[in-house]
Amino acid sequence: MSTVQNVEPFGDGFIAALCPELIIFAGLLALIIIPNIGKGTFRIPGTQTRVMWLFGGERFKITSNPKMPAWIATITLGAAFVQTVLSFQDGVDRTAIVTENGTQLLLVNGFSRVFEMIFFGALTLAAFASMNRLEVKGIGPRLSTDDLYNNRRQADFYILMLTCGLGMSVVALAQDLFVLFIGLELASFSTYVLVAFYKESKVGTEAGMKYFIVGSVASGVGLYGLSMLYLWAGSLQFDVLAAQFVINGTDPLPLIGIGFVLVGFGFKVSAAPFHFAAPDAYAGASSPVAGILATASKAMGIIGLIRMLLIVASPEASEDGTVWLTLLGIISLVTMTWGNIAALGSTNPKRMLAYSSVAHAGYMLAAITAIGAWNWDDSLAGEPGEAAVAVLTAVIFHLVVLVAFKLGAFLVLSVLESDGDASRLSSLGGLAKREPFLAVAMFVFMISLAGVPPLAGFVSKLLVIMGIVKVAIGQMGAEIMAGGDYGLADVHWVWWLALAMVINSAISVFYYLRVVVVMFFEEPEEGRTGPLPSGWQVRFAILACLMVTLFMGVASDQLLEICEVAAKSLNYSWN
Amino acid sequence: MVAGTGTDTIIDSELMQFAPLIILLPMLAFPVILFLGRVFNRNPFWKDTMKEGGIIALVVMASSLIISLLLIKDHLGGFASMKDSVDFLWLNSSVYESGNLTSISFGFGIYIDHITVMLLFVASFLCLLINIFSIGYMNTDPINDNRNHRFYAEFVLFCSGMLGMVLADSFLWLFIFWEIMGLCSYLLIGFYYEKPSAAYAAKKAFLTTRIGDVFLIIGLVMMWDMFGSLDYDVIFSAVEDETFMAGVSSSTLQWALGLMFIGAVGKSAQFPLHVWLPDAMEGPTPVSALIHAATMVNAGLYLVARMFPFFGSEYLQHDLVDLAFIIALVGGITAVMAAAIAFVQHDLKKVLAYSTMSQLAYIFTGLGCAMFLANTLDWQTDADAHYIVIVAFGAALFHLFNHAMAKGMLFMASGSVIHEVHHAHHHLHHHDDHHDDHGDHDEHHEEEFDAQSMDNMGGLASKMPLTATAMLVGSASIMGLPLIGGFWSKEGIIANAWRVALEDPRFFLPAICVLVGAAMTGFYMSRMWLKTFAGKPKTEVAAHVGQTNTWIKIPLFVLTFVTLSAILFAGMGFTHWAPDSEYGLLSEKNLFEGIAYEMSHAFANGDTFFFILTYVAIAIGAVLGPGLALSLYGGSLAEGEKVKPWMKPIIRLNAWVYNRYNFDNQAIANSGLSRALENRLYIDHYYDMAMLKIVAGFSDKSAEADKNIVDGVIKKIETGTQSISKVVRSMTTGSARDYILMVAVGTLGIFFLLWGVA
Repeated sequence: MSTVQNVEPFGDGFIAALCPELIIFAGLLALIIIPNIGKGTFRIPGTQTRVMWLFGGERFKITSNPKMPAWIATITLGAAFVQTVLSFQDGVDRTAIVTENGTQLLLVNGFSRVFEMIFFGALTLAAFASMNRLEVKGIGPRLSTDDLYNNRRQADFYILMLTCGLGMSVVALAQDLFVLFIGLELASFSTYVLVAFYKESKVGTEAGMKYFIVGSVASGVGLYGLSMLYLWAGSLQFDVLAAQFVINGTDPLPLIGIGFVLVGFGFKVSAAPFHFAAPDAYAGASSPVAGILATASKAMGIIGLIRMLLIVASPEASEDGTVWLTLLGIISLVTMTWGNIAALGSTNPKRMLAYSSVAHAGYMLAAITAIGAWNWDDSLAGEPGEAAVAVLTAVIFHLVVLVAFKLGAFLVLSVLESDGDASRLSSLGGLAKREPFLAVAMFVFMISLAGVPPLAGFVSKLLVIMGIVKVAIGQMGAEIMAGGDYGLADVHWVWWLALAMVINSAISVFYYLRVVVVMFFEEPEEGRTGPLPSGWQVRFAILACLMVTLFMGVASDQLLEICEVAAKSLNYSWN
Repeated sequence: MVAGTGTDTIIDSELMQFAPLIILLPMLAFPVILFLGRVFNRNPFWKDTMKEGGIIALVVMASSLIISLLLIKDHLGGFASMKDSVDFLWLNSSVYESGNLTSISFGFGIYIDHITVMLLFVASFLCLLINIFSIGYMNTDPINDNRNHRFYAEFVLFCSGMLGMVLADSFLWLFIFWEIMGLCSYLLIGFYYEKPSAAYAAKKAFLTTRIGDVFLIIGLVMMWDMFGSLDYDVIFSAVEDETFMAGVSSSTLQWALGLMFIGAVGKSAQFPLHVWLPDAMEGPTPVSALIHAATMVNAGLYLVARMFPFFGSEYLQHDLVDLAFIIALVGGITAVMAAAIAFVQHDLKKVLAYSTMSQLAYIFTGLGCAMFLANTLDWQTDADAHYIVIVAFGAALFHLFNHAMAKGMLFMASGSVIHEVHHAHHHLHHHDDHHDDHGDHDEHHEEEFDAQSMDNMGGLASKMPLTATAMLVGSASIMGLPLIGGFWSKEGIIANAWRVALEDPRFFLPAICVLVGAAMTGFYMSRMWLKTFAGKPKTEVAAHVGQTNTWIKIPLFVLTFVTLSAILFAGMGFTHWAPDSEYGLLSEKNLFEGIAYEMSHAFANGDTFFFILTYVAIAIGAVLGPGLALSLYGGSLAEGEKVKPWMKPIIRLNAWVYNRYNFDNQAIANSGLSRALENRLYIDHYYDMAMLKIVAGFSDKSAEADKNIVDGVIKKIETGTQSISKVVRSMTTGSARDYILMVAVGTLGIFFLLWGVA
């Protein structure tokens, strides 16, 4: 691996390094400008001469096309996605964007690229699938004002999607806690509005409002923690914080500061007890948006958690890490159990998926706990970084493939929502007869979420559990193979988190398969027997998700390599 | 000359990367045909041009065959490297691989050695021919209309299961594909599921083979326990490892192999798990050909052949003799029993079904004897012993080859006969309809007529010359008439059975069985041919049978040549097929030397005992059995019927013997033994009784227990968790105030926890 190449803003290599973000930015400008291009004229002051300046006035037919913003957004996000994927082709260069005095603000490396891939991939699918969600009130320049405004909302929706993507990628790139928080807030605000976007629906507006209020409180707590950290270290750079933590990590100021920052991220990943607004938000939002919340937004929170953990998880830190481990372990256990138990009785498929998403957050947290366990416990130290890389790879892989089957499930619900309603389990009734493709796709997504081989969900869950067990067993593994006699008492307690994961997975099969039973064996609801609303875009997106779910279950080698590069790029001593 | 050396060399064939396509193509065609069939059912293009999916299946099977042939060709190039293995790992990442011994990988691999090469050829070649036959057979039968896509879809999946089983690189994958075949056999035997007998036969086949499979999987678990893996590579190198074998109990290993052998017994329909096979004739005829010639029954033989390295291991010498005896004994008993039952069958396909059982039993006997020799002789170092083992093993495998080809052809030919008899019956019917106003006459006729019964045939030799020829050649091959097909391998099996019997007296039983069985085979195969093709037509229908269509003729024609040219295969060294580098296909000898060698071996054996034995076997197999049949069945053809010149001598001989030596066999036919044979020795009857009394009673009781106890507990758990879930969900009140409260509680919790530490 080459050393970091420092680039000043707009200096050499700046465009190459931030290409995906710049594409998004360009798309954003296009989304704002293009719908406003029209036959507007400009009167030169003091004269009667009017000059055509193509802005405002009566729009051209093509610029007033309500489908236009959706296509611009999809193409922009898709281009950014392709750009990130391509950057893996010949190894990712490490490029840092620095200020004039050399402070790193953003760092482009394997880690950031892989998360950008997650974000842009999820957003592309969601944007594409949303194309038919907003009602179009006619096409053409001669529309009533109401209809015109209605069509304008199309642009608003996709502008929010792009800002969301921009904010998320800033989170992935940030090397400074403050920059990270700005990105987080940019993405969060966009999602708050997206949740409440359907102003006709009371549920959606209420959900958006609640999500916003609770999110603000969590952000406030997080920012408070941030200010405490700044007070303590005089900087919010990750490496500065980590270095400081090694020296005087036992101060109450950083401890409580970091604890508060964790609250902010905990809300984003919907960890208990900060998850309460999530089911409401998911149920109220339109399904593609809920899909974004469950995948991209969650990955964003995980980035924050990983970053914070690496600050405190230095093996040389002066402070004993058990407290962090205990904290994360308890949160993880409560989160996964709570999510699963709540999902068991849930009769709203979207709420069910929301709770399942809470449970998945618990699994992620268990894995992150395991990384900490490797770092803090001397008895576990094996090959430097080996176990940590294994767990991190598993977590990143899970986040990538989660996009396929979680978002895919939400997209299937999205089709049903266009049909009228997807808020009851019975709305899925008879889907197998109404549209077999959707039923089969949903079936695959459900069993992948449950972790059935040979689907992607199985591989990711297996890797996470294996990683945790590997950490928990540590060096004992080799000794057991050599005939050493060890019992459960000798194993690190994170092993029990892996067990909890397995038990929770078993519980979760019940509610995932219940959806399948309803789809295949129950009759449709009264008056919902006809064909589902058309729209090839959403079906295409579902097909893409389906393909990834199936393919990543059997041929995950390349993706795993990418994830491993990403995991290793977090700490270059691991290479 | 010393074996074992060089067998592990891995050939570097680029084609190995494409080998999975042999399995994948048919497997992927399965959903495609099913889906297209659902969508385009009744569409004229789909029906007439695509033959309801038959063409797709044909393309796929042809591709599989081409890749197989290329692969086989690559493995014929060098003799020192006949073993090849390529892995396609599923769970394979550096995260795993960076570990030490604990790294677990699960993937699919291709393993190619001598046995694979032959079975791969048999399976892919016959599957393609049967596919061609199916297009002629299935698509012209009106009762199959609009559901043939189901047939072709299941057909390709079946083929993919067989090819996968042959190519797989571990016992685990072998088992997986084995079960895929089990499923497909159920589906295909029950293709006419509206017929209760077909549904019953499908269930019977599935359940009977399942009994064997239970034992097979227990055996596999024991293997896993002993070797820590089910990969061939790992196991086969472990059995050659002295230090490793020192820690393995040979009696446990014998049990494991024995349990696996029970699985093979079920799959290959040997006594006592043979009851499913005759009933499996309820499926369409292409299915019978597929199951009995190309695929499923060979699976059991393949599994036993795969066990060779255990028997051949230096460190297991004399330890597995009992198992070898059991394998040979099961074969011997089945060979005679099935042949006896075949004596009294009237259904054309049933005769062939019992003949299949009997011939497979020969192969089992051959394998058992080869295993015995490998296990007792010092074959790894002694050149003479090595030669004996290789030839014995090769004879059994070569019989598999000959039987598969001949039986595939016989089933297709019988299908052709049945198809045309059926057709003629319909035609006649239709004809009647015009002159006869009484409709009920037709229905009566329909119920009475059985298109598969040989009692309704006779004299077809002149009407279906190609079919009659194919059937003749096939029967001759099964009977072991000198110079044709099965002769080359059957002599070897008999000779080796006696060779072993001279060393271990226990083996006299199977040895006598195979010798007697040869005469019995001669009788029932001749009886079948004569009843069908010779003599005068026994019904009006048989007199009106016409020629068959081209799709059916192609495979018959091809297979006739393959069967007739078995000597070429033998000359090329097919009989030497065994896990060894020295005796490869196309060995150093050229073709003519090979043929001359085979000839001298078959007819002029240096050892006096075997010289006599050879002629005794030929005499009873080719003269005694057929001679008896010639005197009892057939007779001269109807006036004015012309037959092809090559069938004339047989018809004349038959007429001469029949007229001269015919005797009344009513007394024997009505005897108790004959009735017992007709009732399949009451074995099915006892199985049914056991099922009804013991199994059904037990299953009633367990159903009750399940309903009351298990379901009750589950329901309790379910309602319990649901009520917990309700409590948990009720905490999500819907009020933002409460949510903020929870966030505050969480924050304070974290705060105090950390404060306590600080």
